[in-house]
Amino acid sequence: MPGARFQGKLEQIDACCWRIPRDYKPGMRVDGLIYADERLIDHIKADQAPEQVANVAFLPGIQGASLAMPDIHWGYGFCIGGVCATDPDEGGVISPGGVGYDINCGVRLMRTNLSEEEVRPRLKVLVDQLYRDIPAGVGRSGKYHFSPDQLRELMRDGVDFLRRRDLATDDDLECTESSGCIDDAQPGYVSDRALQRGTSQCGTVGAGNHFLEVQVVDRVVDSAKAEVMGLQAGGVCVLIHSGSRGLGYQVCDDALRMLREAPAEYGIDLPDRQLVCAPINSPQGQRYLGAMRAAANYAFCNRQLLMWQTREVFERIFSRPWREMQMQLVYDIAHNIAKFEEHQVGEQRKIVCVHRKGATRAFPPGSADIPARYREIGQPVIIPGDMGRASWILAGAPGSMAKTFGTTCHGAGRAMSRTASIKEARGRRIDQELAAKGIIVRGRSWKGLAEEQPKAYKDVDIVVDVVHNAGLSTKVARLRPMGVIKG
Amino acid sequence: MQHPPKSPPAGRTITRDVYETFEHTADLGLRAVAADLDSLFAEAARGLFSIIVENLDQVEPECNVSFHIEGSDPAYLLFDWLNELLVTFDTRHLLFAEFDVHVTDQGVEATAGGEQLDTNRHHLDHEIKAITYHGLSVVRIDNGWQAEVIVDI
Repeated sequence: MPGARFQGKLEQIDACCWRIPRDYKPGMRVDGLIYADERLIDHIKADQAPEQVANVAFLPGIQGASLAMPDIHWGYGFCIGGVCATDPDEGGVISPGGVGYDINCGVRLMRTNLSEEEVRPRLKVLVDQLYRDIPAGVGRSGKYHFSPDQLRELMRDGVDFLRRRDLATDDDLECTESSGCIDDAQPGYVSDRALQRGTSQCGTVGAGNHFLEVQVVDRVVDSAKAEVMGLQAGGVCVLIHSGSRGLGYQVCDDALRMLREAPAEYGIDLPDRQLVCAPINSPQGQRYLGAMRAAANYAFCNRQLLMWQTREVFERIFSRPWREMQMQLVYDIAHNIAKFEEHQVGEQRKIVCVHRKGATRAFPPGSADIPARYREIGQPVIIPGDMGRASWILAGAPGSMAKTFGTTCHGAGRAMSRTASIKEARGRRIDQELAAKGIIVRGRSWKGLAEEQPKAYKDVDIVVDVVHNAGLSTKVARLRPMGVIKG
Repeated sequence: MQHPPKSPPAGRTITRDVYETFEHTADLGLRAVAADLDSLFAEAARGLFSIIVENLDQVEPECNVSFHIEGSDPAYLLFDWLNELLVTFDTRHLLFAEFDVHVTDQGVEATAGGEQLDTNRHHLDHEIKAITYHGLSVVRIDNGWQAEVIVDI
């Protein structure tokens, strides 16, 4: 069994929100709030994810509440789908566990002017070529190799480093969160070992739940916003999900090691070793933040190179330049990150450190921090679902600023453990089942597909209903998969 | 602690060293049981590579790599040991199947035998992003030791 069922206090506040009161256990500094509806809450209680929401409420300097999105599931330390804002001026901490090993794991959506009818006859050739040309899976290196000095430059400048090498355009930069570069990155804090792991992995998908999918816009819900994003029903898009690869994992690992003694040094009492943290205004905290930002910039570059290689494959298969196919980046967004942002907390405007661990920024219309082209409609939010059903494009809504430090969900969330999913899939051919639905899947093994089968995930439509109804972000368009590359 | 160690019934004698994986929603748990710490660390290492490669029995001990890890807390030592192996695989693409481990008061001295990854022969399974501290434990049980660790997939 994946951990015991959560038996603690969970009070319903409204149709979309549940509370773990601060008095649930001594040491909680704030309430825990879980965004979910009746359809999801029973499942959320099936393991210890709510306990982890309560544990995060122990962190010094936490503001508002320890938050969880409807795709919450059991993680290590933080739950996946967790959000926590801390105030540096109140002794607030930074916790690498609140970002995760895969620093700036995220998603990007690229549109095209190709229709499903145009792509369908060439779909198999296209997917096979993508699988051949774009490295995915364990132990696969990429075609881009960077020396340690180049890597340091890449981590300092983010996607602009690639633009200078004609591997990114101005538009690509503009449509990436933080313009593809988080300021104050400190590549000097990234260890040699992390650099070594990063040398040949920039531009590779990786494994686990990472993927590259050819998708089609299945349904447009908000046509005005969809039009601004360049999305129309029947249009083909590409969705890419990956992060900072071995370099990011190593940065996190180095930080956790550096911080082993920090809780004792700063007198921080923690219910789980994986929540290890240090005050933001401490040498250790600053060191992690500098390295984390550097790894985040590496991740933006990784997804940029994955998209660039995708453009090259499309050029080869459809025999015309990618610009002619209008293969434009809609948006690239992080869902494992910590960022300093200004938010209203009670009566005060404050700069807080927002940890998003499996959660997506969702800034509403009018926000200064989103590209000018999206300022009237709100920031695009990309929610990957599973490889058989759907993914969603949403737009940030005002409710996110009022309730969740400008945050919404990041995916469907797992419904089954990997082990349970394999057991459930015994005797089935996931690739053939998907092929019968018109979805071509290329993956490393039966087991890999079994672990990532659609049933292993919650229904993304339900998860998206919750964030839409809670006013955190609003539905723009539903996409369904046509071709899937898994590591 | 989300994973209370499942101790074998009192009086059970450990007759052989074993590893197994256990469920954790998005990741995987690894449990090893052995008569002494040396064997426990070797068993956990085998368990680690059984998650990375489907046919661990096809990994030949063609080369040896030495590891030297300092520390005294058995749980952190286990973490560091598995982590060193994982990073060696990630950076040098070396798969290991045989382990000679000595755990002392000062740390771990170990030799791992393995070979270069050959995707024609070795069927890769999971990419392990990292060893985590969540639920990390090395505990004494009747007649031996048990280790538990969750790896991030």
